[in-house]
Amino acid sequence: MDRALRSRLQARFGLELHGEIRQRNDETELRIGAGDVVDVLRALHDEPAFDFAILADLAGVDTGREMQVVYHLWSQSTNDWLRVIVEGLSRDDPRIASATFLWKGAEWMERETYDMFGIVFEGNRDLRRIYMPPDYTSFPLRKDFYLADDSARSPGAGVRHMERTHSPAEAGEAPLRSGTGT
Amino acid sequence: MATTYPHGTHKSADDPHVLLDDEYGQYEPIPPYPPRTERELEFYTPGDGEMYLNMGPQHPSTHGVLRVVLKLNGERVVDIDPVLGYLHRGVEKLCENADYHQTISQLDPLEYISSLFCEWGPVIAYEKLLDVQVPRRAEYIRVLSGELNRIASHALFMGWFALDLGGLAPILYSFIERDEIVEMLAALTGQRMLFNYFRIGGVNGDLNHDFLSRLGDWMSRAGKQIETNLALLNENEIFVRRARGLGTIDREAALRLCMTGPNIRASGVPFDVRRAHPYSIYPEIDFEIPTRSEGDSLARYLLRMDEVKQSLRIIDQCLEQMPDGPIMAKLPRLLRPRPGRAWAAIEGPRGMYGAYVISDGTDQPFRLKIHDPSFIHLQAVGALLPGHLLADTMAIMASLDPVMGGVDK
Repeated sequence: MDRALRSRLQARFGLELHGEIRQRNDETELRIGAGDVVDVLRALHDEPAFDFAILADLAGVDTGREMQVVYHLWSQSTNDWLRVIVEGLSRDDPRIASATFLWKGAEWMERETYDMFGIVFEGNRDLRRIYMPPDYTSFPLRKDFYLADDSARSPGAGVRHMERTHSPAEAGEAPLRSGTGT
Repeated sequence: MATTYPHGTHKSADDPHVLLDDEYGQYEPIPPYPPRTERELEFYTPGDGEMYLNMGPQHPSTHGVLRVVLKLNGERVVDIDPVLGYLHRGVEKLCENADYHQTISQLDPLEYISSLFCEWGPVIAYEKLLDVQVPRRAEYIRVLSGELNRIASHALFMGWFALDLGGLAPILYSFIERDEIVEMLAALTGQRMLFNYFRIGGVNGDLNHDFLSRLGDWMSRAGKQIETNLALLNENEIFVRRARGLGTIDREAALRLCMTGPNIRASGVPFDVRRAHPYSIYPEIDFEIPTRSEGDSLARYLLRMDEVKQSLRIIDQCLEQMPDGPIMAKLPRLLRPRPGRAWAAIEGPRGMYGAYVISDGTDQPFRLKIHDPSFIHLQAVGALLPGHLLADTMAIMASLDPVMGGVDK
């Protein structure tokens, strides 16, 4: 675990950060708001002290209460994976700046995230559906989208069993599986 | 009697047994709706002397079900617009509705050429969430079977690539290699393609006599046999001259396109997760990361063949150092990791496979994001292709080695 990365990030992005920087296993996690994403990503990519040249992944997350966009970055200068969680996007109209100005390869990842969650990436020149047909209207990976044969909602049957869990995943977050159970 | 027919077929007036294509059955390159984005408008506005050509979704060399709309000027490709989704299963949603053990078999068909790698990433991520220590023997077996699978995948790549450049013989030879490895892995895992072998905390079965005897038999002649197969292509002047300079990409552009694996190493970026961010027992094993600087199709091909030799070295060391012991960590049957997030990345034959898992404390993942290198590399085709000839489309695509199961998820 790279303690130095944590203090360097804390010193550089102290104002933008939401909450503490967390470290677990070989991952460092920081949370920012949607307004700061361009500045933070640009600094992480361009500044020689960070040099996060590789965008490993871009994922959307629907927590049930809000939308998040999660970036995983890799740099030569540290032995940790960096996870940048952009939190606090509204579920009704999630909008965030595109990362295509740094990584052109993010274009399709953002298209996928748009297709699955409806998150709009402003600045992406090609934000259309990528997997689902063009006349499709839902966003399948949202938590309020149920599978047709979702046995979670049929009491007493199927693989989802025993309990309805409403455990808060992390402090301050809504119950994650808000839609499940009967 | 009124009968309804599926889209794409209606009966001929003259002969009711003859089914004709109607407007739904034909793939028009230009979509029947107005452009949705800036880029789509730009692509579907033809310039002077430009035309569109639809390729696929059923095309013999698309390596899966992929449709590509090509914008051509004469025989030069101006731009392409790949249309995905024909193999989309929604595997991430399926995994959110399955428990942690069940997801492994859901993930197998993503990468049907080298299934072990798309199991490996999520399994490591789950183990991070659960804080499980995997027994060393299980780690060695994982690396051993993974490297075998890598060789099988690269062997198939060699055949495919030559096939797309117009050479018919190499695929026959590469299938010999692949078949031996696949039969070997079938003896170990019980399956030829979708292995479903890795488990959270270990592997499904220990090394058995059938597997080891096949492996020993193959290893005794693998090096020589692979050299023979390579001579078929490496010394073929037509192949080398055709592949050289095809789809060249430089270091900076490759990084900007988020490419990984052999494709980025062929452009001079020595990024291999096995060394850059070691997992499993790779730190204990001695092997090199081949890197090339040309960045063209030939470099990507030669680099993969160098990797095969390194994989043989890794297998040798695994067999030498294989420790005794259990192959599974002790875990309850019903897994409930504590709430949290984990990311794991591994180096597969096509690049970096990643898995991002969020647990909410139940026995099902709250969110599982699969990062597949094929998806990224298919996107890169659009950057590599402009200016090349129509016939090079599939060759460049084959040199990047995407698998449509992984692209479409």
